[in-house]
Amino acid sequence: MGAMDSVQGDSGGATGAQALYFDGLSNTRRPVTIAFSDQLDIRQDGSIVARWAYSDIRRSDSPAGILRVACLSAPPLARLEIRDATLAAKLASRSTELDAHHLGRRGVARIVGWSLAAAISIIVVVLFGVPLAADRLAPLVPKALERRIGDAAEAQIKGLFGAKVCGDREGQAAFSTLVNRLHAAAGFDGPLESAVLSTSVPNAFALPGGKVFLLKGLLEKAESPDEIAGVLAHELGHVKHHDNMRALIHNGGTSFLVGLLFGDITGSGALIFASRSLVEASYSREAEEGADTFAIEVMRALGRSPKPMAELMFRVTGKEGSGFTILSSHPLTEDRLARMGKEERPVTGAPLLTAEEWKALKAICGSAAKT
Amino acid sequence: MDQMSFIPQVPPPLPPAQVSFTGERGEFRSMVTKGAALELVTFGFYRFWLATDIRRHLWANTSLDGDSAEYTGRGKELFIGFLVALAILLPIYLAYFLITIEAERLQELASIPLFLAFYAFGQFAIYRARRYRLTRTIWRGVRFWMDGSGWAYAGRAMLWGLLLVVTLGLALPWREAALERYKMQHSHYGNLQGKFDGRGWEFFKNAWWLWLLSPIALLVFPALPFLYAEFKAREWRWWLSGIRFGGVRLESTLPSTAFYGVYWSVIGWSMLFSMIFGAYTGACTGLVASISGVSFEQVIGPNSQTSIPLLVLIGIGYLGLALALSTVMRVYLQRDLWTVVLASANVHGIEAAANVRAGGELASALGEGFADGLDVAGF
Repeated sequence: MGAMDSVQGDSGGATGAQALYFDGLSNTRRPVTIAFSDQLDIRQDGSIVARWAYSDIRRSDSPAGILRVACLSAPPLARLEIRDATLAAKLASRSTELDAHHLGRRGVARIVGWSLAAAISIIVVVLFGVPLAADRLAPLVPKALERRIGDAAEAQIKGLFGAKVCGDREGQAAFSTLVNRLHAAAGFDGPLESAVLSTSVPNAFALPGGKVFLLKGLLEKAESPDEIAGVLAHELGHVKHHDNMRALIHNGGTSFLVGLLFGDITGSGALIFASRSLVEASYSREAEEGADTFAIEVMRALGRSPKPMAELMFRVTGKEGSGFTILSSHPLTEDRLARMGKEERPVTGAPLLTAEEWKALKAICGSAAKT
Repeated sequence: MDQMSFIPQVPPPLPPAQVSFTGERGEFRSMVTKGAALELVTFGFYRFWLATDIRRHLWANTSLDGDSAEYTGRGKELFIGFLVALAILLPIYLAYFLITIEAERLQELASIPLFLAFYAFGQFAIYRARRYRLTRTIWRGVRFWMDGSGWAYAGRAMLWGLLLVVTLGLALPWREAALERYKMQHSHYGNLQGKFDGRGWEFFKNAWWLWLLSPIALLVFPALPFLYAEFKAREWRWWLSGIRFGGVRLESTLPSTAFYGVYWSVIGWSMLFSMIFGAYTGACTGLVASISGVSFEQVIGPNSQTSIPLLVLIGIGYLGLALALSTVMRVYLQRDLWTVVLASANVHGIEAAANVRAGGELASALGEGFADGLDVAGF
């Protein structure tokens, strides 16, 4: 048959075979001899069972000490196993493409290169694309959807705090007066819903769809209508700027994109959390500053000073010091106080509430809150 | 009498077939160390290739009856599967978000059923991921394969999960048995069909007292790893002993104490590395304090100034810690655990696996992609 270099019977095995052949169609272990002609001849009991072109031979995974090869033009799972080192070396020297399909250094370098490119593009999108998309998309969110999200959030928050709406009639009237004046001065058309919630947490918040809530805890710490007016104006600023929707889109996009990176690396949770917090905190600080700017404008339009609002906040938080500022979601209270102080102008407008109205507002939650 | 040589002789009952693992531990260690470093450099994208390398190493070095297995999956397949899964999951996440809002508006906490839908998706992913791995497993030139439906499996897993909750976990053995029966019934090696013979009751008899002890173990620190090791060893032994392919029968003699060493090694190394990281952080803080000339209290106290160089140094240390820990986990929990389990395995009736005809189709890596995207792990 023109075998140039037939090697037979020089290694172990009961039948004098030097190799094992699996034809990929059954799992029968076929002891074979191999001969190196212009192709690789695989013979069992003297007759040829397969002829493999050297350029089609590829290495398959195997334990140390065994050369296992497959052939591109043979059934995909056909395997030839050679356990004799010299014979394996002979086959390897003829099969020029033996390791052509292996990843190798260049393959790994390609993965690293593309991964870096992908990571950089993700980071750029997180830092620039997502905020841009959030700013542009938030005003486009249909009002109905925004309201629904607001309703869902309201139900959740009320459940969380176990809070009831304070409904003292005179207090309610005073609160409406204050909110309406701010609403008019702010000059925006959308509907607005506002209420005082009976919980001792000193805070206030806005929800999507124009909902502003003042919590009893903050009202109790307030010493003048201007303080509360400033806070409400700040929350109106969030409503006006669609900050809730912006944050929703921004945080959703950021978590999704950052989640693409790292995957299941040990400790990736901390990495993802840290990078997300950094990005989101900086976005949120910007939104807070924007709402402060809005509050300053509204208070000026009413001829009142924005400074009392910052004083109220300072009373609530105390001096915050120079902590881990890069991670905090609000500007520092003393920085806000300094800013509001700088913006202070002589009071020109009439008081926003009369003394009686202010007293009624302070007592809006009464002794027993009603629904 | 010449005719006789053509008639195969009936073989005498054979001793159990040899199962062995021949991989070098050092080779595996250097592979996963390098792989973990590449994972960090590639922001995690190398994970698909590393997972593939680990499987290729474990499969190729595992031999049954003298012939080693082969894993033919590739990292690129996993990566593409991940991308496709992502493309499918993204609109589902968005729809999920919108439906949640609708549901929450009507009734607080009404969105919990939607969470269950994601759980079902996770179970589907587990089934399909196993199918992917199985169809990439080759032994003697014939592949394993799997049919059946991922959704049918997910439905079963959900119902059994409900029972699990109702019985406070006592139904676990029966759940595992039922789910494994479904998986194994649909597993094949060529034309040999798989089967799972393990009974829930056997597992329960073997491990019920662990269930009783688990509340105590949660309170007493050193008890938990022991308890978990006992549980996992019993689970593996029961699982392996129930596996059948045609007339081929697996059996395991895994002692219930078999995993103590593996788990405690991981805990020991983790503590050591965490201590080194702690010392390193302290040293960096001291160094930064002495160079910048501020007092130690100013650097770490409640009124500390944020020091960028210090953060960078600690970040580098943290990456080193992550690298070391992931290497330890992979060496002990993947390789060493595998070798311990294999050493306990006996295969009876391997002669039934002679002359098996090839069959079955390759499955896509989409299942693994879902499992990655949904962060579920399962086997």
